[in-house]
Amino acid sequence: MTLQLNQRADSSGHEPSLIPAAVLDSLAARFRPNGLFVALLRPDGSVVWHDPQAGMFFQRFVLPLLQYGDPADGNAKLNICGVAPGSIAVNADLPGVLLAAVGYGQRRQTNAVIVLAAKASTFKLSEDVVRVCSRLGLDGIWLSQAADELPTYLEEMIQRHARMLLAMIRDQMRLENLQGELDSLSGQLSDTYEELSLVYQISSGMRINRRANDFFKQVCLDVLEVMGVEGMGVALIGEHSASQEPVLYGPLGLPPGTVHRLADELLPILCARKTPLLLNQLAQDKNFAWLSEHARQILAVPLLRQDQVLGCLFSLNKIQGEFDSQDSKLLNSIANESAIYLENALLFDDVHGLMMGLLHSLTSAVDAKDAYTCGHSERVAMLAKQLTLEAGLPEALAERVYMAGLLHDVGKIGVPESVLQKTGRLTPDEFEKMKKHPEIGARILKDIKQINDLLPGVLHHHERFDGQGYPAGLTSDNIPLMGRIICLADCFDAMTSNRTYRKALPLEVALMEIRRCSGTQFDPVLTESFLRIGAEKFREMLRAHHDQMRETTTGERELCVA
Amino acid sequence: MTAKKILVADDESHILHVVSLKLRNAGFDVITACDGQEALELAISEHPDLVITDYHMPQLSGLELCQKLKEDPSTAGIPAIMLTARGYQLEPKDTEQSGICRLLTKPFSPRQLLSTVNEILRPAA
Repeated sequence: MTLQLNQRADSSGHEPSLIPAAVLDSLAARFRPNGLFVALLRPDGSVVWHDPQAGMFFQRFVLPLLQYGDPADGNAKLNICGVAPGSIAVNADLPGVLLAAVGYGQRRQTNAVIVLAAKASTFKLSEDVVRVCSRLGLDGIWLSQAADELPTYLEEMIQRHARMLLAMIRDQMRLENLQGELDSLSGQLSDTYEELSLVYQISSGMRINRRANDFFKQVCLDVLEVMGVEGMGVALIGEHSASQEPVLYGPLGLPPGTVHRLADELLPILCARKTPLLLNQLAQDKNFAWLSEHARQILAVPLLRQDQVLGCLFSLNKIQGEFDSQDSKLLNSIANESAIYLENALLFDDVHGLMMGLLHSLTSAVDAKDAYTCGHSERVAMLAKQLTLEAGLPEALAERVYMAGLLHDVGKIGVPESVLQKTGRLTPDEFEKMKKHPEIGARILKDIKQINDLLPGVLHHHERFDGQGYPAGLTSDNIPLMGRIICLADCFDAMTSNRTYRKALPLEVALMEIRRCSGTQFDPVLTESFLRIGAEKFREMLRAHHDQMRETTTGERELCVA
Repeated sequence: MTAKKILVADDESHILHVVSLKLRNAGFDVITACDGQEALELAISEHPDLVITDYHMPQLSGLELCQKLKEDPSTAGIPAIMLTARGYQLEPKDTEQSGICRLLTKPFSPRQLLSTVNEILRPAA
């Protein structure tokens, strides 16, 4: 039978701990009341540990004998030191002392022996004992008295105790091993929890309306902590990146140029291999040796969707140790989740872009019919959105209001140009035709289910708070909110723009007019919010709008002013 | 300064192991209980500085445990962290009336648990 050695390599040059001191302490405490002394010896005879609370007989007489051997034998090594692991040897050679040793080690190799020492039944102030006493500078009488209280042992008695010791060590070591295993399993479980909760956290953060930059930033910050790395970054392939530049988060902090270069070199490699890239020695890799002045190790995983690489996640420098397959697996599952998010976000952007493009084209088509209202729909959309936000309403609603603002005059497509472009007052008949545009607009749009929620804004933007508006003549809160909002923005923009029949009013005058009509034409609460925006902000918005028009839609612009 | 003592109660032993290992490594003194009743007895005899308890436990649920601790003047001041299953919501009045200062959902992040414990027991010096 062999005892497992609790081997822990110790690089600092100290002796490897054979048996944990706590175990030895508890063993010594068990045997001490029986007048037995516990010590741990190496196979070469040196004493590694002994019971520090043992009585004087052991401390002053037995311990030196164990340490130096019997001077009479020329201090020869004790013959019990080589006892095989799991075996017991008894030694009665030392004067007045009985020893029993239990071998301890792996397989046949003895790494140490645990020695039980006792006062032998033959103990007396013999010639040999006196000789040892004089060598050790002890008084023989004092020694007899120190030994007086101790029980004496016969060989078979100490052997019995040694067998008990052997069983106890085996149990203790098994317990130690189990505790170690439990701790290591708990540690692994703890890591798994960490990963699980990270993956959960990421997937619950995958809301489609979240900006890609924010999403990836959160992913990187989470991974930094959980995986324990110095840098965590993301690089997307050009066509998928929109506004996303390669970024790196974490304490490593490389210059942006280096991050760009890293991204440029990583992406083609990952596109080709489509599997994680794990380099624990960057300096020795021909592709990444250049990076070794900044980082030691890299782990990069592709963001894959249907076999297409959209980009990659990469982490630099593990804080403790090296990247291993566990890290690679974790980062890979995070990449898989992120890729789902990314694909959805790209699809969403795509569809959203298409829809907004169509809305703008439709709007331009209307504006093109009437040179003087050029840009009107865009401005109304912008003003209405601003008003919605100022009124403390949700941002999502503001986006919808913006769209409704773009579309509010779509119905003018169905109004004859002769009416739209007439200079001077409209006849009652012409005015009736003009008044049809909200209904025409709602009719044009009603079959597009994705914008059904915008219809009230289009249909009711000419209602008045006092019920004198059209087409339905609704009053106060019966007018849909979107209608009330767009109505304000529409009137304000009409007043501040040049029209065929009059010049634009100055901003301040228009605002006074708005205030004057609060409660009759306009919702008084919304009017307050609108006035809070202030003339300065309006000027700034109009300027920004003007610049944008010039920048992005020159063609449209030409159409308008033609 | 002596180590702060934390009582961890959960009927799932692996949770006890994970939590105690994390907290012991961080220098806390940890005692464990595997049901609500045992936790209550230990809380009264040991006076921990903090209780971390699962919600679902035999004998006495985590919430009942916290309520009982709150009723006893000698343990009323002990703050508690409650672990619950995901998607499970406690009534705000229940948390207020039972000294529960944080809720963590399983599977929780041990790292986050430790930082929560630190926030409660080691307010920034």
